[in-house]
Amino acid sequence: MSIPSSLGFGLGLRSIYYPDILEHEPNVDWFEIISENYMIPGGRPLAILECIRADYPIVMHGVSMSLASSDPLDYAYLRELKSLAERIEPAWISDHLAWTVVHGANLHDLLPIPYTREALDHVVDRIRRVQDFLGRRLLVENASTYATFQDSEMEEWEFVTEMAERADCLLLLDVNNIFVSGFNHGFDAESFIESIPIARVAQLHLAGHGSYETHKIDTHDQPVCEEVWRLYERARLRFGDISAMIERDDNYPPFDELLAELEHMREIARTADDVRSRSAT
Amino acid sequence: MTLREIQERFQTSVLAGLASGQAAILDSLRDSPRTDRATLFAVYVDAYRLRLAEFVSTDFAVLRDYMGDEAFGSLVEQYIATGPSHHRNARWYASRLPEFMRESAQWRSDRAACDLALFEKGLADAFDSVDAPALAIDALAAAEPDDWPRLVFEFHPSVAVLDLAKGVARLYSALSDGGEAERADPDDDETILLWRRDDEPVYREIAADERLALIEARAAKSFGDICTLLEFQNNDETLLQRAAGFLAQWFADGIVTKISLST
Ligand SMILES: [Fe+2]
Repeated sequence: MSIPSSLGFGLGLRSIYYPDILEHEPNVDWFEIISENYMIPGGRPLAILECIRADYPIVMHGVSMSLASSDPLDYAYLRELKSLAERIEPAWISDHLAWTVVHGANLHDLLPIPYTREALDHVVDRIRRVQDFLGRRLLVENASTYATFQDSEMEEWEFVTEMAERADCLLLLDVNNIFVSGFNHGFDAESFIESIPIARVAQLHLAGHGSYETHKIDTHDQPVCEEVWRLYERARLRFGDISAMIERDDNYPPFDELLAELEHMREIARTADDVRSRSAT
Repeated sequence: MTLREIQERFQTSVLAGLASGQAAILDSLRDSPRTDRATLFAVYVDAYRLRLAEFVSTDFAVLRDYMGDEAFGSLVEQYIATGPSHHRNARWYASRLPEFMRESAQWRSDRAACDLALFEKGLADAFDSVDAPALAIDALAAAEPDDWPRLVFEFHPSVAVLDLAKGVARLYSALSDGGEAERADPDDDETILLWRRDDEPVYREIAADERLALIEARAAKSFGDICTLLEFQNNDETLLQRAAGFLAQWFADGIVTKISLST
């Protein structure tokens, strides 16, 4: 099994930055869209997306597939997603190991699951069916969580690993989410990264979060923090040259600040790549 | 507990909130090394309300400006309390707000606010409605004059005709430009034609006879039928000229997408 080749260093495509992108063709290797933002009938957002697509690779990242929900799979959603993919031709499609909806009521959030055998069987089956429907391998992302369940029978990284192997899907590792969940639940983020099979990881997410004394919240409204940069370095050392991008969804800075963060990511990657090539010889 | 039972409890507890005493999910959660499960679960409860409120504020930013944060906040709270979202896509969560206001005893009496909500939603709907190329006026010139009475029209999917309190559209522009807003007159009416042009929502006020002509034309009535109706309403000899004027204006606006002959 091969993972898609690296797209390099990317950013989330957000409407506030359309003018910066359209006017200056910035040095961003690729963009990730939130699929739902373009699952609309027509108009300017889709026209702009097609325009940016002409110059940059795009990947589609969804927030409402509700992969871990006990509701039936929503094929109307999947059909819409597939038709957007046919139009945009993304390098790949991703969503989260989470649920957003039960009994048809949508909480518009990425909600946590108990890490049980039952949940694992259920999620594996759903990922397989989604992949069959879309005719492509899905990337599944670990979410930030604030709750753990009494019923859990294994650790998150064990669940994620077995899920990827059995569903034959790829993984989108969000190193900020690993850090946030690690802080919230008291596990070691580096060990999480070190336990994930190299052959399954096709993309990384980085982002900023909000910090409280007792917990952290995945807000995407801050620059990437030092600890998360260190985790990115660890991930780059382990997984090598895989696509990585920064998610920013609130408290938007001038676009140049995001470009500077992206430059920082490139530097860290270069250092890590040097270490890898030295240790290889 | 099964995955389904856990998800049902989790959702019920988020919707009810921690203060309700209905947060049964807490029995299924663990404390963390740093804090208790209630503190952690509260992240989901708070995020739920904040997120929905943000959807509404983003979609009705001008209405919020008009009403002020306090009144708007209480409207949003009531709207959220009507029940959970049944939309996968957050884009449509707040779309029932104008309807909710019209049906609410508290908000119904503020006609300007209700109509401003309707207008703001209309602009948002026009913004991302289905694409369709406008038809050039040459198509009209190509029709035989004898065929004109049988002409029927199709319009751009973004087209909407809104009946509002007089001055609501002007109020909207003033508020969105950050300028002084003249009050709308709840006892008088205006009709606004709204559509999308060059990717942007645009609008203009239309008079009663153009409103009538447009409503009939959108219902696939032929040009001849529309003229007859206008004549009946107005008993006016310059009618044909005015009807042709509407038609030319619709082409100039770019809202006509197709013409054909009725059979
Ligand atoms: Fe992420």
